[in-house]
Amino acid sequence: MKRYFEIYLKFLAQHLKRMLQYRSDFLIGAGSFLFIQASGILFMVLIFQQIPDLNGWSLTEMMFLYGYFQLPRGIDHLLTDNIWLIPTKVRRGEIDRYLLRPINPLFQLVIERFQIEAFGELIVGVALMIYTIPLLNIDLTVWTVLLGLLFIILGSLIYTSIKLITASIGFWVINSMPIMTTVYNIADFSKYPTTIFPKVIQYTVTYLIPFAFVSFLPATALLNRSNGLEILLGSVIAVSVLSIAAYRLWVLGLKSYQSVGS
Amino acid sequence: MIEAKHISKSFVKYEKEKGLIGMIKGFVNAKKVIKKAVDNVSFTIQEGEVIGYIGANGAGKSTTIKMLTGILTPTSGEILVDGIIPYKDRVRNARNIGVVFGQRTQLWWDLPLVESFSILKEIYQVSNEDYKARMEMFEDVLQLSEFIKSPVRTLSLGQRMRADIAASLLHNPKVLYLDEPTIGLDVNAKLKMRQAIKTMNKTFKTTVILTTHDLDDIEELCNRILIIDNGKIIYDGALSDIKTKYGSDTKVSFVLKEAWTDFVDLAHLMEVDPKDIIVKVDEDKLEIGFDKRILSVAHVAQVIMKNYEVTDLKIMETDIESIVSRIYNEGKVNVSND
Ligand SMILES: Nc1ncnc2c1ncn2[C@@H]1O[C@H](COP(=O)(O)OP(=O)(O)OP(=O)(O)O)[C@@H](O)[C@H]1O
Ligand SMILES: [Mg+2]
Repeated sequence: MKRYFEIYLKFLAQHLKRMLQYRSDFLIGAGSFLFIQASGILFMVLIFQQIPDLNGWSLTEMMFLYGYFQLPRGIDHLLTDNIWLIPTKVRRGEIDRYLLRPINPLFQLVIERFQIEAFGELIVGVALMIYTIPLLNIDLTVWTVLLGLLFIILGSLIYTSIKLITASIGFWVINSMPIMTTVYNIADFSKYPTTIFPKVIQYTVTYLIPFAFVSFLPATALLNRSNGLEILLGSVIAVSVLSIAAYRLWVLGLKSYQSVGS
Repeated sequence: MIEAKHISKSFVKYEKEKGLIGMIKGFVNAKKVIKKAVDNVSFTIQEGEVIGYIGANGAGKSTTIKMLTGILTPTSGEILVDGIIPYKDRVRNARNIGVVFGQRTQLWWDLPLVESFSILKEIYQVSNEDYKARMEMFEDVLQLSEFIKSPVRTLSLGQRMRADIAASLLHNPKVLYLDEPTIGLDVNAKLKMRQAIKTMNKTFKTTVILTTHDLDDIEELCNRILIIDNGKIIYDGALSDIKTKYGSDTKVSFVLKEAWTDFVDLAHLMEVDPKDIIVKVDEDKLEIGFDKRILSVAHVAQVIMKNYEVTDLKIMETDIESIVSRIYNEGKVNVSND
């Protein structure tokens, strides 16, 4: 465990060094993310000039939800973005190297990349939290803060697990990118109250591909619209099932990995 | 140290038919084609041996190496490397081995070389003293310092290969697998590479398995060779044995004054069986291959010169290159006709 931690730190130091070296790259990357987010928020503000509330959600609450959504997404994006490359690496035989070193292959894969552009999402998320929380009736008790942080961690794990599941399909299917992007885009529903969508979508994002646990359901809990403990329990179950399934699938993929001719 | 028992590896490919209908058909029920890349291969390798693993392109060398290193699971058969089944216990096996694939670096593309080494030191938990001693040795043999601060992606092929071999040796592995470690290297770089391999083998009794298409590597380094053809081992033994067996092969090539057109039966003229000589003709060039124990160079030259006007003549004794080429062509090693 200590060894893993030290290896991680070494990579982190290198990534940060590179970030400083290519400062402009980082600024452009994070800037473009900021821009995408800003236009998303602007869109919401414009809609709310026409209507007072959306299915019982005020503009401020919507903005809270939108910001909260960015946090687990940003963390997942920052730390585990290399999982996206699994299908490509399988196709090119680049998984070989992970199988030749005496540390966990998934760990090796993940630490190779640190997606600093994700700071764009994190900055927006934090800014919206700072702006909206004082305007909402959220009691900042130890419990709510703890719950909020816990949901963020669980939410990132949901993201990562779903990403790993779809990426591992690449061990068996040559072009799995469409599956990955489709599933990943379903997460966008969780940016808004899922109750505004048809039932099919609500059920899908709650039980099937449970992105609702990433931000919508936690937000209802934090806004005192639902029972925090229930949502937490649901989230823990979702994370357990998904992460075990994801890791199993990845290991199964490694077993059937055929490399390439060389 | 290494024991392979009847290992085979098959790859499944789905053959697609041409055209739109073929595509649809393939979608519903693609034709399964099974390619046996390695076919019932067995061998035992002792500690400290340096094995040359050779064979034509596509013979199954890399596939074997990938099974030995634990990347691929054999379709059938069993492998033990230092008592460990590599593809079942990858992490434990990985501590004992060093691997270089000449085609592709194992290092981190964007990291400066020195950082890669420091991360590998952590991964394999190499002590500070060992690390220092080994880096000094690498410096002696491979001269890494001129590019050690550069990111791996900026290294030239030869530099990268030197870096890769150093990386594979950092933790002093018991077994070293080298799949084409000298591919694309210049003469000097090849010498350095061989020197590094020799040094490790001498100093630490490292067991080495080496695949290469450069037979000088084999002559320089290996005391035993395995030849694989179409997935099957066709020879396992000393290089010297093959040399004595095939070393009597000789070729004489003539340049004639006029193109050779009369197609006379040369075997008849030389009073030997037609299968004892190999004749190749290209306009005015005539090449005759034979076994020195059956025919003498003098006799062959005499017969040809008596019948044709010869402007030039060259005698070629067999080198290891042509021996191996002959074995690849025949797909077997003749041990019987001694
Ligand atoms: N991952 C794979 N999927 C399908 N077929 C493969 C795969 N790897 C190798 N093969 C096939 O198996 C056979 C042996 O390949 P291998 O790479 O072991 O050859 P090799 O002896 O290393 O050849 P070379 O000298 O060209 O490197 C080839 O016919 C190749 O097409
Ligand atoms: Mg090969």
